[in-house]
Amino acid sequence: MSEKKTPQLDELEKGQWPSFVTEIRKAAAKNPAAEDLLGLLERSYEEKKGHWKHGGIVGVKGYGGGVIGRYTDLPEEYPNLAEFHTIRLNQPSGWFYTTKSLRTICDIWEKYGSGLTNLHGSTGDIILLGTTTENIQPAFDEFSDAGFDLGGSGSDLRTPSCCVGPARCEHACYDTLDACHNITNEFQDELHRPMWPYKFKIKFSGCANDCTASIARSDCSIIGTWRDTLRIDQDAVKAYVQEGLDIQGAVCDKCPTRALKFDYKKNELNVIAEECTRCMHCINVMPKAIRPGQEKGATILLGGKSTIVQSAFMAWVIVPFMKMEDDYEELKDLLRRIWEWWDENGKTRERIGETIYRLGMGKFLREVGLPPVPQMVFRPRANPYVFWQQDEINK
Amino acid sequence: MEKGPASPEIKEKVLAYLATVEKAKSKEIAAAIGEKKADVDLAVKELAFEDKVEYLYITTTFVALKGKVGAPQ
Repeated sequence: MSEKKTPQLDELEKGQWPSFVTEIRKAAAKNPAAEDLLGLLERSYEEKKGHWKHGGIVGVKGYGGGVIGRYTDLPEEYPNLAEFHTIRLNQPSGWFYTTKSLRTICDIWEKYGSGLTNLHGSTGDIILLGTTTENIQPAFDEFSDAGFDLGGSGSDLRTPSCCVGPARCEHACYDTLDACHNITNEFQDELHRPMWPYKFKIKFSGCANDCTASIARSDCSIIGTWRDTLRIDQDAVKAYVQEGLDIQGAVCDKCPTRALKFDYKKNELNVIAEECTRCMHCINVMPKAIRPGQEKGATILLGGKSTIVQSAFMAWVIVPFMKMEDDYEELKDLLRRIWEWWDENGKTRERIGETIYRLGMGKFLREVGLPPVPQMVFRPRANPYVFWQQDEINK
Repeated sequence: MEKGPASPEIKEKVLAYLATVEKAKSKEIAAAIGEKKADVDLAVKELAFEDKVEYLYITTTFVALKGKVGAPQ
């Protein structure tokens, strides 16, 4: 263990919370790169300056993603960090592991890397921090033999991720786990061989609670919904009233479209089906009384991202309802058309939301073959991006 | 979706073009050699497995002849 003083890092071990510094110190007992990492991090905090550069190497033989080259700009002083590459492993759907598989990952990583991990990265991958160029291929070979594959990085399809879905949640309107697994397998080329203007993320959420935060954090978010109407159990509504729930205040008044009406005399709750936006608020407050409808599927949204060329975007609805069935062929076909359009029209380092923002939603919809529909706008004339074309006007 | 093998002629054209530049994106290669982008993507994939080209990340992902571009300075 290092005898060097690290007063800045010591502060991060105080208090009641788990500390990443404590974990790096544990790794440093066995790994010189982790020990150098403590020194470099302390120095960065002192100088208020990062000492990392990244880029270059991206994968193993035949792969164009999954490895992120990282190097310190002070290799003479921290020789064990001269190469400190990150490996991303494709996580299982819903992040369900056996303890055996977690031990396998850790054992392989202690053999070839620093032993430091980050479960999970913001896209969802298993992040393995710190290995040398020489060790990348043998580490991958061993992970591959154990049943793991690399995730995405660079200008490719990033590793798709999903919520726990029907495995643990009664709200799931489709099988997010199966959809994520199926789409990941279908688009292996897109995941491993970067071919686009920039990254593209897909996240699957089983309902509008959106536990993967897909609407803000993915280029394509697939959010479970239903096409018919809410199912309301009036006996359960009465039970909530007896328990003292303020249904008018906590449910009806907070419905974003005022689609719920509570009858005080009968203690009954009714929904105006055509006004409901399926936001899940009422179901979250009264899960024993209100359920999603029976005709379930997903809403497809496009364009969410954080700030890059343009500011952060929330995703736009492009398909209000799609059945998630038949091996997801409708979704796959749509994704291919979207990628072809983006590949043709996108500039380098431009996310698809930015390409649409630059060229217009109308052009995107026409060229990808999607009809403009009312669900794409908040209310009439609230969003002017859909126009009549000259040949559509009856003069 | 089965894509089939890449065209040997396109693979040769990709290698020839990459010999004239430091690095390029597939879209730029396709435009330069006058082939469809999808066919170039397939050729690059096979050439990567053959260790003749490699992908590189320099603010975005590029393709280059194997060993032509070093680690970031």
